Amino acid sequence: MTDIGPIITTSIKNNFRIKVAVITSIIVILICAIGIALTFCLLFIAPETAAKSPDISRLELYLSLIMYITCLLGVGVNLNAFAFQSMTREKSRGIIESLLATPLKVKDIWIAKSLAVFLPGLVLGEVFAFIALIAINYIYFVPSIGFLVTPWMVLSSFVAAPLIYLCLSLLVHLVGLAGKPATGNVIIQILLPVIITLMINLIVRNVLDAASWTFTLANLGIAAIVGIIVIVLQPRLTRERIVLSLRS
Amino acid sequence: MSSAISIESVKKVLGNREVLKGISFTVEKGDIFGYLGPNGAGKTTTIRILLGLLQVSSGKAYILGQDINLSETRRKVGFLLDLDGLYDNMTAEENLEYYCRIYGVLKAKERIDKLLEMVGLEDRAKDKAGTYSRGMRQRLALARAMVHDPEVLILDEPTSGVDPSGQIEVRQIMLDVAHKENKTVFLSSHNLDEVQRICNRIALIDRGEIKLYGELESLRRGMGGSVVVIELARDIPESLLDELKSLPHLGLQEKKDKSLIFSPQAGTEVSDIISLLAGRGVKIEEATRKEASLEEIYSSILKEVEPS
Repeated sequence: MTDIGPIITTSIKNNFRIKVAVITSIIVILICAIGIALTFCLLFIAPETAAKSPDISRLELYLSLIMYITCLLGVGVNLNAFAFQSMTREKSRGIIESLLATPLKVKDIWIAKSLAVFLPGLVLGEVFAFIALIAINYIYFVPSIGFLVTPWMVLSSFVAAPLIYLCLSLLVHLVGLAGKPATGNVIIQILLPVIITLMINLIVRNVLDAASWTFTLANLGIAAIVGIIVIVLQPRLTRERIVLSLRS
Repeated sequence: MSSAISIESVKKVLGNREVLKGISFTVEKGDIFGYLGPNGAGKTTTIRILLGLLQVSSGKAYILGQDINLSETRRKVGFLLDLDGLYDNMTAEENLEYYCRIYGVLKAKERIDKLLEMVGLEDRAKDKAGTYSRGMRQRLALARAMVHDPEVLILDEPTSGVDPSGQIEVRQIMLDVAHKENKTVFLSSHNLDEVQRICNRIALIDRGEIKLYGELESLRRGMGGSVVVIELARDIPESLLDELKSLPHLGLQEKKDKSLIFSPQAGTEVSDIISLLAGRGVKIEEATRKEASLEEIYSSILKEVEPS
């Protein structure tokens, strides 16, 4: 693989120059993360910690959910805000075609463009999830039951959930490059709410425990499914297909 | 020694349409090669094949004797496509730096400064490309095409949409690149005047077929390009006109007032026509040989293939 660093950094810089999209996505993530954390804290965590013998497993579940959703939002909102926009702009202005005429491999361009959208979202999501973990622990848990964190909680939020979105970012960019960026956008618009709703439903219905290994495994499973779709579609990503898609 | 560009019987089918119908031509090292043709003729498809953006359906295409799809070959080619592909939000320097990093150019800063000076944008180096005029953007895109010091430059209508003074600047840069930096330039253009001014060889493509190909000067001569205009002192009788028309080597094309316009066959000189007319008692005021312009060649070729 050639050095894709310049493409990633340049794409991130250019995405961040669209100030409206950056500010909107940060505000959306912030409002949603604070809203979710407050809802869980006021409705479930505060009453539970106030009880004589708080149920630690339930507290772990709530904390896991807050971190998981916050992280998903960070990555998901970012993907939603930038993938379609940057792909459309770069295709219509001849930036993609110019890159294809360089010695770079198509795969390198695709991976770099996917990472350029995924990485800032990952950082935002993980920072917010980390802040939530620390803040909730120090406000609610440390005074009574001590610092609460499990390895599965950390793995689900900081590894498995972002992995789903990494695979989704690769899929969206693959479809957007080889076909129409709008199709990639439709995929993310459908999959983002579907994945969040599915996981929350499985937790609420006690099929999965958000603080256990089963939840981590379920997330890794979803990432694997999306990853397999990406691997199957990847041979379709050729210079010719991308160039011909520019005409449509 | 291999040619700079070699296209052998290349066909390209897109959907149900045969866009290129077995075209062949070569561009020698150091050439400024003009690639002409009307819209939809197949010029951009040819360029995309040369840049490895499209694959040939059949035939072969080489650059510097190498497969165009090799990364090593791409490093030897600079390009300017119909859309310049510049980042509007980045300065001229940043745009060039980006491509320097992609091509792994050493001493990038020096190279960028040299190129910006060459295209006359050194004063606007810190300005964003989005603030540039079309002509300045094309000059910047030309600089970008040369960041890695390529041996071959493939340019798709570099002066399209550029104002006349911008066209002169872009044209001068192309000439400097070809002559001072010893590069091969493949120039696709609609602008016949531009091609006539700077190209030494041309190919004319229409509906996916090469209609004309070769050195511009020899094409002008060989295409019956040279026209002889004889100004007469007074009108000639119809019988003499019929006689002149019956002599194919003279190639009498038309009579306009007191002028006779000949397109003589190879081997027939102006003096032959003058002697013949003088022998018939015709008084001649002036005789001039006029070279056919590229526009005339272009029009005559395209007229020949016009559907009836």
